[in-house]
Amino acid sequence: MTLEMTGIYKSFGANDVLRNIDFSVKAGEICALLGENGAGKSTLMNILGGVLPADAGTVRLDGRQVQFRTPAESLDAGIAFIHQELNLVNDLAVFENMFIGRELKTKAGFLDAKAMCGRCREVFARMDVDLDPRAMVRDLDASYKQIVEIARALLMEASVIIMDEPTTSLTGPEIERVFDMMRTLQSQGVAMVFISHKLQEVMSVCSRYTVLRDGAMVAFGQVEDTSVDELARHMVGHEVRTESLRQERELGPEVLRVENLSQERRFQNISFQVRAGEVLGFTGLLGDGRSELFQAIFGSGGRYQGQVYVEGRPVSVRGTPQAVELGIGYVPRDRKENGIIKDMDILENGSIVTWPKRVKLGFIDWKDVREAFDRQAAGLKVKMDSPKAPIGSLSGGNQQKVVLAKWLNAEPKALIFDNPTQGVDVGAKEDIYDTILDLAGKGVAVVVLSSEAQEIVRLCDRALVLYHGQVQGELSGDGLNDQEIMRLATGGAAKAG
Amino acid sequence: MERAEANETPRWMARLRDLWRTNPLFSTGMALVVMIIVQTAALAMNSSFDSFGAWFQNWLQNWISLLRGNAGIGIIALGMTFVIISGGIDLSVGSVYVTVGALLMVLLNTGEGGWLASLGLGGVPAIILALVLALALGSLLGEGNGLLISYGRMPPFIATLGSMQILRSVTQYFMKTQKTELPDAYKSIARFSIGGQQLMPILYWALLAAAMYIISQKTTFGRYVFAIGSNERTTRLSGVNVRKVKRRVYALTGFLVAVAAVIQTSRIGSMDYASAGSGFEMDAIASVIVGGTSMSGGRGSVVGTVLGTLIVAVMNNLLNLIGVDPYLSAAFKGAIIIGAVLLQRKEKA
Repeated sequence: MTLEMTGIYKSFGANDVLRNIDFSVKAGEICALLGENGAGKSTLMNILGGVLPADAGTVRLDGRQVQFRTPAESLDAGIAFIHQELNLVNDLAVFENMFIGRELKTKAGFLDAKAMCGRCREVFARMDVDLDPRAMVRDLDASYKQIVEIARALLMEASVIIMDEPTTSLTGPEIERVFDMMRTLQSQGVAMVFISHKLQEVMSVCSRYTVLRDGAMVAFGQVEDTSVDELARHMVGHEVRTESLRQERELGPEVLRVENLSQERRFQNISFQVRAGEVLGFTGLLGDGRSELFQAIFGSGGRYQGQVYVEGRPVSVRGTPQAVELGIGYVPRDRKENGIIKDMDILENGSIVTWPKRVKLGFIDWKDVREAFDRQAAGLKVKMDSPKAPIGSLSGGNQQKVVLAKWLNAEPKALIFDNPTQGVDVGAKEDIYDTILDLAGKGVAVVVLSSEAQEIVRLCDRALVLYHGQVQGELSGDGLNDQEIMRLATGGAAKAG
Repeated sequence: MERAEANETPRWMARLRDLWRTNPLFSTGMALVVMIIVQTAALAMNSSFDSFGAWFQNWLQNWISLLRGNAGIGIIALGMTFVIISGGIDLSVGSVYVTVGALLMVLLNTGEGGWLASLGLGGVPAIILALVLALALGSLLGEGNGLLISYGRMPPFIATLGSMQILRSVTQYFMKTQKTELPDAYKSIARFSIGGQQLMPILYWALLAAAMYIISQKTTFGRYVFAIGSNERTTRLSGVNVRKVKRRVYALTGFLVAVAAVIQTSRIGSMDYASAGSGFEMDAIASVIVGGTSMSGGRGSVVGTVLGTLIVAVMNNLLNLIGVDPYLSAAFKGAIIIGAVLLQRKEKA
């Protein structure tokens, strides 16, 4: 099947979101749709998926003009949309998820589990994956969940599958697993649209690309004719930095020291120390325990064994208020679940940590709060209409900056960043890196947890690589590079010396 | 494009439509206004038209007694608002009410078996002591709920369902054969008359509503309540002592219930332990929901709850005026709740 979109226009009020976009994908092709957050990728795909109507332009399937008024119509035409937030019910089995809403029934009207499992196995065989249809979805790792979503699309006989950032929550080997499966489907003539920020992945799996910027098509072509740098340039509109951001800094005294920290089944015998002005990285694959480790240090991860020292004094942190009191801050991962409060406005989201410091006669001094927030928002280059707007009106990158702002105002001595650039566009990423380095320059002890090796390499003075909850090795200087991180993260032994 | 739109619909209509969409209080307020108009019309038909003055007197009297009669529920609903915004629920308010009421009765009884009287305490000191103890008991019972929910990690529904049963049953067991006489000075807490009218309950309600409004908007505690209801994890990861805030939400509700118990016992002068406070939890929840507070937490307002209480009250009054069978009044209440939530859902879309 060939899908062609030509001359697509869309505007929301006075805001032109898409201007004259052409996009096409053929059977057996994986086409990358690239662009920063807000470039119009989602709008374009929502038009294709029947979620939004286009203002102008045509959509053709195999040369026949079509118009989708609802997601169901689009699905019936063979176009499946897999959203970034997976649409699976954790408490149901794989086959139940795959048939949800279209269950097969026996003649008596009961569910026909056997037939459904059989159909699932057929699809899995076609995809060349080994998966038990009766397994519970909650027991699957993230890559298999993604695979179940794709299998569901195939089950509905989709011939075009749109995947919106399918690898965001996956680790290296898991990403490979999904890619292998995508290649298998490609050889079977399925057309796929791959939306991603990760340009390396685009280079390895896609055959063509289209880049959107501010609602306009700025580049398209064959992936083999381009490079990561060129794609990044198209997305941002100017040169992007990939060089190391490490800098010589005067290190101050030790701020945070951890000795033999253990928590059952999560992490074991972790020891490290961070000094003022230092940027220490933690990385590893999914399940390496780094988030759990730092949540425990921040007082929200339950009981642990071992000892934590803040500025040389032994402390036992029993709750997050105490951690804040001690001068520890934590910018969490998974912004939506842990970072933002969706019913509150930008100002409140960006200041909640410091409210107790800005109370006068029992009442919050909102003017003071606002001034402090405005200072940080300006420094972070937050793009917003007004601090009183809801947090949901901001793009992912700007939301993350607001989360950062609340911690910057708290003026912590040690600040932990957990996946700070998850789901953030290239421009905002650089702003966040600048902020992190600026903090280190001001003598804050910074810890960066990241699953992106590149991020660790560019930012950190020193990095610990975790493997199954244990420190597999420490890297610094020239030894701190992508290859070494990958080797240690997958369980390779640390080199002597 | 803007000009074209202005030609189609007048600007004031567009503005009204915007208000309707964006401000949840607006539609609640409109609903109340409509109900008041209908109620006024019903009252006009019920009363004779001797003179406008007489009719106005009648109207005013009706309103004063309506507000006075609903002050208790109104005050309890204020606490319930915080509980629901924080993502919880408190089913025990009716039972806390009857328990605090019972304590007031045994403390202040001037007849046989009155504790303070038998200790030789009387007059104003006895009343003040009884008030302090009653408010403390209400807060403590609320604190108990809060402890179960925050430190015991129990779902609020279950914790308060349990305490609701325990408190009512124990109170009824001990209060089987109590006959009570309350001192007159105590009764004047609610009956003190201003310009010939007993306005005190209305005054207490208004003051507490104002205080709760300020708390909800201007204090860290109030804003934390909203934050917890919207996203508890993020709030905890922002260094907020979530458990302490939750505990205080339930303690505050217990305190407000105790205030309501004081006002109602002093207004009525007695308490029927079998039925007092029963159904209060549902009435309070209904007021909060009709007022636009989200059952899933994070969104809501004190002003909305006051409007919600008034809507339910005006509707009951209206049914009374037009002579609807009392057995049917609950059905109307149910319809109002469902209608209010449907209305609010439309706004969001």
